[in-house]
Amino acid sequence: MPNKTGKVLLIDDNDIDLKINSKVIKLSDFFEEIILCQSGEEGISYISKNLDNPDLLPDFILLDIQMPEMDGFEFLEIYKNFPKTFLDNCKLAILSSTLDFGDIKKAEANPLVIKLLKKPLYPNELQELLNKHSTLLGI
Amino acid sequence: MNNPTVRVLYIDDEENNLQAFKASFRRMYEIYTAISAAEGLKILENIDIHVILADQKMPNMTGVEFFKSIVETHPDPVRILLTGYTDIEALADAINHGDIYRYITKPWNDLELHNSIKNAYDAYKAKIDLRNKITELEKTNDELNRFIYSISHELRAPLVSVIGIINLVKMEGLYDSSGEYWGLIETCSNKLDYYIQKTLQYYKNTKDIPDHSEVDFHKLVNELIELHAYSDKDTAFNVSINQNVKFVGDAFRIEVILSNLISNAIKYQKSNEQNKTVNIEIDVNDFEASVSINDNGLGILKEHLEKIFTQFFKSKMHHGSGLGLFIVKEALNKINGTINVSSNIEDGTTFKITIPNAK
Repeated sequence: MPNKTGKVLLIDDNDIDLKINSKVIKLSDFFEEIILCQSGEEGISYISKNLDNPDLLPDFILLDIQMPEMDGFEFLEIYKNFPKTFLDNCKLAILSSTLDFGDIKKAEANPLVIKLLKKPLYPNELQELLNKHSTLLGI
Repeated sequence: MNNPTVRVLYIDDEENNLQAFKASFRRMYEIYTAISAAEGLKILENIDIHVILADQKMPNMTGVEFFKSIVETHPDPVRILLTGYTDIEALADAINHGDIYRYITKPWNDLELHNSIKNAYDAYKAKIDLRNKITELEKTNDELNRFIYSISHELRAPLVSVIGIINLVKMEGLYDSSGEYWGLIETCSNKLDYYIQKTLQYYKNTKDIPDHSEVDFHKLVNELIELHAYSDKDTAFNVSINQNVKFVGDAFRIEVILSNLISNAIKYQKSNEQNKTVNIEIDVNDFEASVSINDNGLGILKEHLEKIFTQFFKSKMHHGSGLGLFIVKEALNKINGTINVSSNIEDGTTFKITIPNAK
């Protein structure tokens, strides 16, 4: 079980889902801090402005796919250009309700995505994933 | 009868022929004439011509050469070649490269030529109509795809939020706080989600052309067991997969097939059975994958065995949707697979399927 020292960044345009998922994470006590962003753009700008402030950067990101303007895949296109030092220390999983085979394949093929989690978010699924990557997460 | 305006372009280097043609046909068609291929092209570029008649023997550019030169730029007008002598080579060339509809010898017979032009126009119209229909169909198809796609997201996303909230209620220990209401909401939500998923599976199966990708049965079966055993930890799985060769097939449909069968095997258990067991055996060779999925569950009544693959067949005792096995069968049909079932109330059910290896 990971110690709760890390930060998780949730990116989802749906505020109800943001609320639900942050509550699930809070109740499961996996992370010390939960950062909420309501769009891909907001996520990108949060990371960019804190690149010099590693203390504020997330260790783990849960990214939605279907979002207006910048969707999850567009987010990843920009995200992959962040410095390697950051990318190496932060893991990213997709959290989506998609049933679209194309989306699923595309997500699984992306080297930056460690897993595609399906909504609703179950604590034990998340825990399993975090355990698997705990060494990578450094938490 | 209201005749449509048929626009005919006639190219001939002999002015007399052009005049004769005009005299004979000007009441029937809208006629354009040109004294050379170059001039004909000019008309073609400015006017929407339906039928082109060209004389074969012209200086600078022959009729066939002219037709060849416009194959790419003006594919729609229907072409008729006129020639004063029977030149087999020119004729073969015209058919092979000029996309010629008719070949008429000079001097022409008015009635024959009239009929040919009429038929040519019909061919033109059929071609254009068909193209319009195809465009229309593509558009409808595209809209349907987008509709289905948005249903899958817009309709399902809030439902999944509801299921997420029920989860939270459980985590906070409030599930039993309102009598059985939370449980009822959960049952309904799961049912709705199930129907949305099955409808999408069915739709995707009828629409998508079979795809060929590599299938790793070890990985697939383990993922599916993980997915479906989630709700029921009592069932023991005995999995034996023998795959030493590459298997290529339709990954989506194979997943749908195995997913439905595995989920059924878990779902329809005897509630008083102590050792709920599901046995999955898969044998892959160069020609096919043979899959056997066996359970010691409720079994299927003999009189029902014939009907289980029909749409919306449900037995009274079990709360199925009547879609799962129907989709399995439809998906197998699409990829030339087979399915057999044997079952009885005492021992449970065994499904055997084969899926051809397309490698």
